[in-house]
Amino acid sequence: MIFAHGFGCDQNMWRFVAPAFEADFRTILFDHVGAGQSDLSAYQAGKYATLDGYAEDVVEIGRELSLTDAVFVGHSVSAMIGILASLKAPELFESLVLVGPSARYIDDGDYVGGFSEAQIEELLSFLEENHMGWSAQMAPVIMGNPDRPDLADELTNSFCRTDPEIAKAFARVTFKSDNRADLPKVTARSLILQCSEDVIASPTVGAFVQQNIPNSRMIMLNATGHCPNLSAPDEVVSAIRAFV
Amino acid sequence: MPLSEAFARGDAPASESYEDLYENAPCGYLSVGADGRVARANLTFAAWAGYQRDELAGRRFSDLLNIAGKIFFETHVAPLLRMQGFFDEFAIDLITSDGSRLPAIANARERRGADGHLRFIRLTIIRATDRRRFERNLIDARKESDHLRIALEENLRQERNNAELREQFIAVLGHDLRNPLASISGGARLMLKAKSTADAARIEAMMQTSVTRMAKMIDSVMDLARGRLGGGIPISKSVIAIEPVLDQVVAELAAAHPDKVIEVNFEIEKPIFCDGLRMAQLFSNLLANAINHGAEHHPIRVNAKANDKEFILSVANTGNPISDDTKARLFLPFCRGPDHGPAEGLGLGLYIASEIAKAHSGDLEVTSSDLETRFTFSMKSQNR
Repeated sequence: MIFAHGFGCDQNMWRFVAPAFEADFRTILFDHVGAGQSDLSAYQAGKYATLDGYAEDVVEIGRELSLTDAVFVGHSVSAMIGILASLKAPELFESLVLVGPSARYIDDGDYVGGFSEAQIEELLSFLEENHMGWSAQMAPVIMGNPDRPDLADELTNSFCRTDPEIAKAFARVTFKSDNRADLPKVTARSLILQCSEDVIASPTVGAFVQQNIPNSRMIMLNATGHCPNLSAPDEVVSAIRAFV
Repeated sequence: MPLSEAFARGDAPASESYEDLYENAPCGYLSVGADGRVARANLTFAAWAGYQRDELAGRRFSDLLNIAGKIFFETHVAPLLRMQGFFDEFAIDLITSDGSRLPAIANARERRGADGHLRFIRLTIIRATDRRRFERNLIDARKESDHLRIALEENLRQERNNAELREQFIAVLGHDLRNPLASISGGARLMLKAKSTADAARIEAMMQTSVTRMAKMIDSVMDLARGRLGGGIPISKSVIAIEPVLDQVVAELAAAHPDKVIEVNFEIEKPIFCDGLRMAQLFSNLLANAINHGAEHHPIRVNAKANDKEFILSVANTGNPISDDTKARLFLPFCRGPDHGPAEGLGLGLYIASEIAKAHSGDLEVTSSDLETRFTFSMKSQNR
């Protein structure tokens, strides 16, 4: 069972969910390149300008670990990354668990994604203002010493720190992606976990994903917000357990 | 409203009280329940956000944020709160009751019950209109300085390249001037030993050739100086019959390269308004370039067309295509091909040709493939 985090944080997103499956599954956690403890020197702006670049990495991990019939659990944008990876290498994944997925965030004609182009631009600009404290000098300290709380003490918000340029690029590729055409091609068994109130991926958006993936079903969680894996891990764990 | 009421509501108690400190604190307090709805807000926050305090309780917290703020809260603040229990010093934009933006800085803390369940997220909100504007300006200034730095580094790199080319150019110029000078000097010595007038005339003609070569080089250097330092190469235009000018250039170069075949196709319907000497120079440079770079035993093809609309002159040769790298520098001074030999001169021919084209408000373009390399000059016909 492989867990992929979404935009905004790193594999810590799964800290309350993944352990529940360790007894029955081999669990795999990773940080997308550019996030968390990943090797920042591996970040190539060109490759990661599309979700395809991230999907290639998932396939590479799957092949390296010789996965067959694995369960891919993807949160937020990683739901689409998982779909792309399963289309590239269908033999890797038997099923997909998509937590808070959206095939397109920006409204398009009759399609309601929830955001306008201008709002996404505003977000990209706003993100810069929340990365004022990031400095290239501190990055190695933060990135290189996760087990040194004495260092972390000097830093507020030491989790999920990201190079602001990479964070902005990831936000851009996330919120400007459009994977509606990929949904009908999915062959893996899929489960959509939808929060009842989610400002980023509304139930309408989740229902669109469910209706367009052939072999899929959706579970509406009582949890609210965009990160049920953190706010309601028990609900998420039991839903996944019933599915697999 | 008296001024004091803008800051605090109600009368201050006789002695400091927690209740009054909470309600009328110099910062906004906001408690959000586990369901994402406002559990309580203080008067300061309500006043900033443009609400009566009672109107806030039960409202979805996300409704108080703009879109960027909502996404940031869901993707950054909420996960961090869950992981470390706090998130400090983040920028957030609130939306007031009249829809305007309230830029703020916030700290947030989780408060959990004995059962470990989340009770409240507490937020302290500092209104930060000026500070946020200042930070925005800082970010913009940093971006601008980054752009400037990149542009400056690029300029510096180009300038270094130019300096290097200039040094090479001076070396080449010195070297190339020495050859005809040596031949003139040799001619002068031979002249002393000339036995007949016919001999002297032959030697004189040889010396003249060398003088012409040197004069051409010096003219090129002068043109370079004018093109780079002044407002381009000066021209003096008049209405002229262009065909004889072109014929003359072809004849000169054909005489100098008797082994080359030059195929000419002129369709000159009318005289054109241009600088005849400069046009000859442009054509001569293109043709010499084609002769130097064209494949051996293959003809050079020259086409010229002049009518009411335009004047087009093109010179084509076969041979190795020009690489994209070379193409980018082709019309810059001192550009010489990767396999240039002694015949190629100073690397100014195409630069001067393009300056002459510019001075005529015309275009000089190149296309290059395995089939042929073709330089095309074009200008609109003018009457005067």
